[in-house]
Amino acid sequence: MTLHILPRGKWVGARVKRVEDPRFLTGEAKYLADLQSPGTVHAAFVRSPYAHARISRIDTTEARALPGVLAIYTAEDLSNLPPLASGLPIEGLKPTPQTVLAKEKVRFVGEAVAVVIAENRYLAEDAAELVQVDYEPLPAVTNAERAMAPDAPILHEDLASNVVYQKVTTLGDVEGAFAQANHIFRRRFHTNRFVASPMETRGCLSVYERASGQLTFYSSTQMPHMLRLFLSLFLGIPEHKVRVISPEVGGAFGQKMTIYPEQVIVAYLGKLLGRPVKWVEDRRENLAAATHAKEQIIELEAAVRSDGKVLGLKARLIGDGGAYSFNTASALIEPLAGAGIIPGVYDIQAYQHEVIAVCTNKSPVGAYRAVGWTAPQTARELFFDEIARQLGLDPAEFRRRNVIRSYQFPYTTITGMVYDSGSYQESLERALEIVGYEELRRRQAELREQGRLLGIGISLYVEPTAWGSESALQAGFPFPSHDNATVTIDPTGKVRVGVSVHSLRQGHETTLAQVAAEILGVSIDDVIVEHGDTDRVPWGMGTYASRSAVIGGGMVALAAQEVREKVLKVASRLLEVAPEDLTIENGTVFAKGAPDRSLSLSQVAFAAYLDARVRAEGEEPLLSATKFYNPKSTYSNGCIVTICEVDRETGLVQLEKVIAVEDCGTMLNPMIVEGQVMGAIAQGIGGALYEAMLYDENGQLLTDTFLTHALPRASEIPEIVIEHLETPSPVTIGGIKGIGEGGLLATPASVAGAVLDAIWPAGQAIEELPLTPERVLTALSEASVS
Amino acid sequence: MQLVRLSLKVNGQPVEAEVEARTTLADFLREQLGLTGTKLGCEHGVCGSCTVLVDGAAARSCLLLAAQVDGCEITTIEGLTSNGTLHPVQQAFWEAHGLQCGFCTPGMVLTAVALLNEHPAPSESEIREALSGNLCRCTGYQNIIRAVQLVVEKQQRAG
Repeated sequence: MTLHILPRGKWVGARVKRVEDPRFLTGEAKYLADLQSPGTVHAAFVRSPYAHARISRIDTTEARALPGVLAIYTAEDLSNLPPLASGLPIEGLKPTPQTVLAKEKVRFVGEAVAVVIAENRYLAEDAAELVQVDYEPLPAVTNAERAMAPDAPILHEDLASNVVYQKVTTLGDVEGAFAQANHIFRRRFHTNRFVASPMETRGCLSVYERASGQLTFYSSTQMPHMLRLFLSLFLGIPEHKVRVISPEVGGAFGQKMTIYPEQVIVAYLGKLLGRPVKWVEDRRENLAAATHAKEQIIELEAAVRSDGKVLGLKARLIGDGGAYSFNTASALIEPLAGAGIIPGVYDIQAYQHEVIAVCTNKSPVGAYRAVGWTAPQTARELFFDEIARQLGLDPAEFRRRNVIRSYQFPYTTITGMVYDSGSYQESLERALEIVGYEELRRRQAELREQGRLLGIGISLYVEPTAWGSESALQAGFPFPSHDNATVTIDPTGKVRVGVSVHSLRQGHETTLAQVAAEILGVSIDDVIVEHGDTDRVPWGMGTYASRSAVIGGGMVALAAQEVREKVLKVASRLLEVAPEDLTIENGTVFAKGAPDRSLSLSQVAFAAYLDARVRAEGEEPLLSATKFYNPKSTYSNGCIVTICEVDRETGLVQLEKVIAVEDCGTMLNPMIVEGQVMGAIAQGIGGALYEAMLYDENGQLLTDTFLTHALPRASEIPEIVIEHLETPSPVTIGGIKGIGEGGLLATPASVAGAVLDAIWPAGQAIEELPLTPERVLTALSEASVS
Repeated sequence: MQLVRLSLKVNGQPVEAEVEARTTLADFLREQLGLTGTKLGCEHGVCGSCTVLVDGAAARSCLLLAAQVDGCEITTIEGLTSNGTLHPVQQAFWEAHGLQCGFCTPGMVLTAVALLNEHPAPSESEIREALSGNLCRCTGYQNIIRAVQLVVEKQQRAG
């Protein structure tokens, strides 16, 4: 039975308080670092202080002699472990496998060279400091364009160059578009490399039972089943003897999707040593060795008609992949995903893109919320603002003339993405209305006369969500998608929901309970959602790419619906009423129109399990169902407008307000949607004004603590006003779309756009983010000189 | 390793212990006393996840040695709930959706408690300022500010 309509009664769409909160509020929630197992030993990594060097000698004698040190391992000792490589079949991507510990050569500052195992972490770190490593430094390259040059230092000697992927794709009549244009505009941007920086760093705990051969691996991870599969293959432990448990996760944002060398090493050593091995990284390691993101060099060219209509686009996207491309084609995820989103919400009929992925002596790149999309959104929106100003058009008007109209849905973009539905025009108009746009422009002009610089930034965006296999393929990545939910009603009428999309902070225990409760007619207090443990929940890909509401919601709805039908079948035999004449509300099954003919759900459940009379011949009465859901592609959208003031003297940017109009289709819980939007916007503000992973010319990471790397604090975030539009998806269960990434996708463009709007005509030479006071002042002084 | 004897109060209970001189207060609470509610986010005093109350004042337990708090009264997040009832600040965080992953929450809650003990009716900007020593990566802070405002509102209505 197809279920495209999700019932909306008491639960779906309601602002329900999160059921999981009490354990977090009281400090009872256990994250990886809080787990304690008797006999645990601790790992500490020795990491390279050089960006590029040969390892000539490693001497562990002094370190080994320290009391409390059990063992020290280098690449030689772990040579039986295969290197990490990309498992995603993308044609033309050159392999750059990463050995679990650096072998012969190090390629980025922070790369792990040796691992120390000791009785406690203090001793492990003492010993790590005593490990002597002799390096022969090599020239390092920290800029992607320089890494492409023929005389650049080569990171992977078996490859002729540092370019691991290069492909040009031409779509539509690009030549014709550029020939017809009245104007050709060009712009270049080099977006900042910034990072997820979750408050909880990475960590894992490996517990191996020798007698049973069972490995239980605890890890702060987004993809428990994939991790289990991978560890089983990597370590040669039969998969049915591997259990992965992700305890509470203190934020992940994509950084914990990656399968890291440290995890493999800790898993392996747990088995080797027969004692639990625990590793928790410190913040410096997280900033240096956990994956980086967002850095792209994007050159754009636009063919524009005199009325502002964009006839065609050309884009060259260079992804700075860092030292290794591993896991899921990591060096490509920024530029390839980026190429697909350049057209965005605009009706572009001709488009040529060149995607280049390069290795440099920096930390490898991985996923970070709005993977690959933040950089092109920033580049394209700022480019469009500038084109508008050059043509004497208001930036909002320019967007109006190019945006995809609502009557055009479903709209297939020139890059092959099928936008199912959306409110691109509506979200723009509503955001401008909320902000009082015309009045704001007047205020801006008045303040200018007083010498004050007010700016307005508009960022209109589409957000690919869910990443079912169709979406992922449309984005250029043949990523599988296979997720399942099991819904079970126990004999006493309580509901258990097991899902493969586990909760990192998004409130799945509440939102998915809301779906089950709505369909089964119970209170969410009678539903428990289980996640994160491969022994307790069905197989799936995990949580990333804003998939849990769509895929989680969808599969829970399907499974709950099937269980509902089983319940009604049993109840119909007990009440002697046809199942179609029965309904369930507030935990009671009753006949529609004759509510006194009723039974509690717990009575029905009890009978289903223990009363043979209610079972028909050959029927499976177990009140449980497992369903899989792989949705068609679905896209959310929104518009973010930022108002700021720039101080001429200091270059400091004061954000006045951020307005976000977002449309994620049917909302399961508006309160949770808003939480996601605000959090993502805050990260976007960080990306626009404060955050960057900075390396010096020797490849030394300069931003490796919170003293040098500034995350936005409460005092940096202005008032955020959110308004919801709800354009359901016509192709997903319940019309649900994903939410979670739009804020980080679109906010840097909005904030940077506001700053550039404030300082115009200064700032035309700005190519780099973040917009620090220094960059702003330089732009202002250059303009006043010229 | 030099050992130090400690005699202090944690969440109202007297504690006698022996620690290595270099053990931080955070590690002492988490590892030796099993009070893992206090979190470590940076260990260099910036993120505030490790915030506890030392004699009522908010302090970064990652920057204190356990030896330094001999004779003091420490309150951790575990000490806020009494008889299963949430502290008004905890309750307000719940109602205002002031947490997502929960990692910064113990530190945030205790900092808010310390703030309200000193300033029962802070303005929005005063709240933002007071909480600017606690990093949150999930919420964007707005609901956390609202949670604190909710406590103030409730207290004003009651009092």
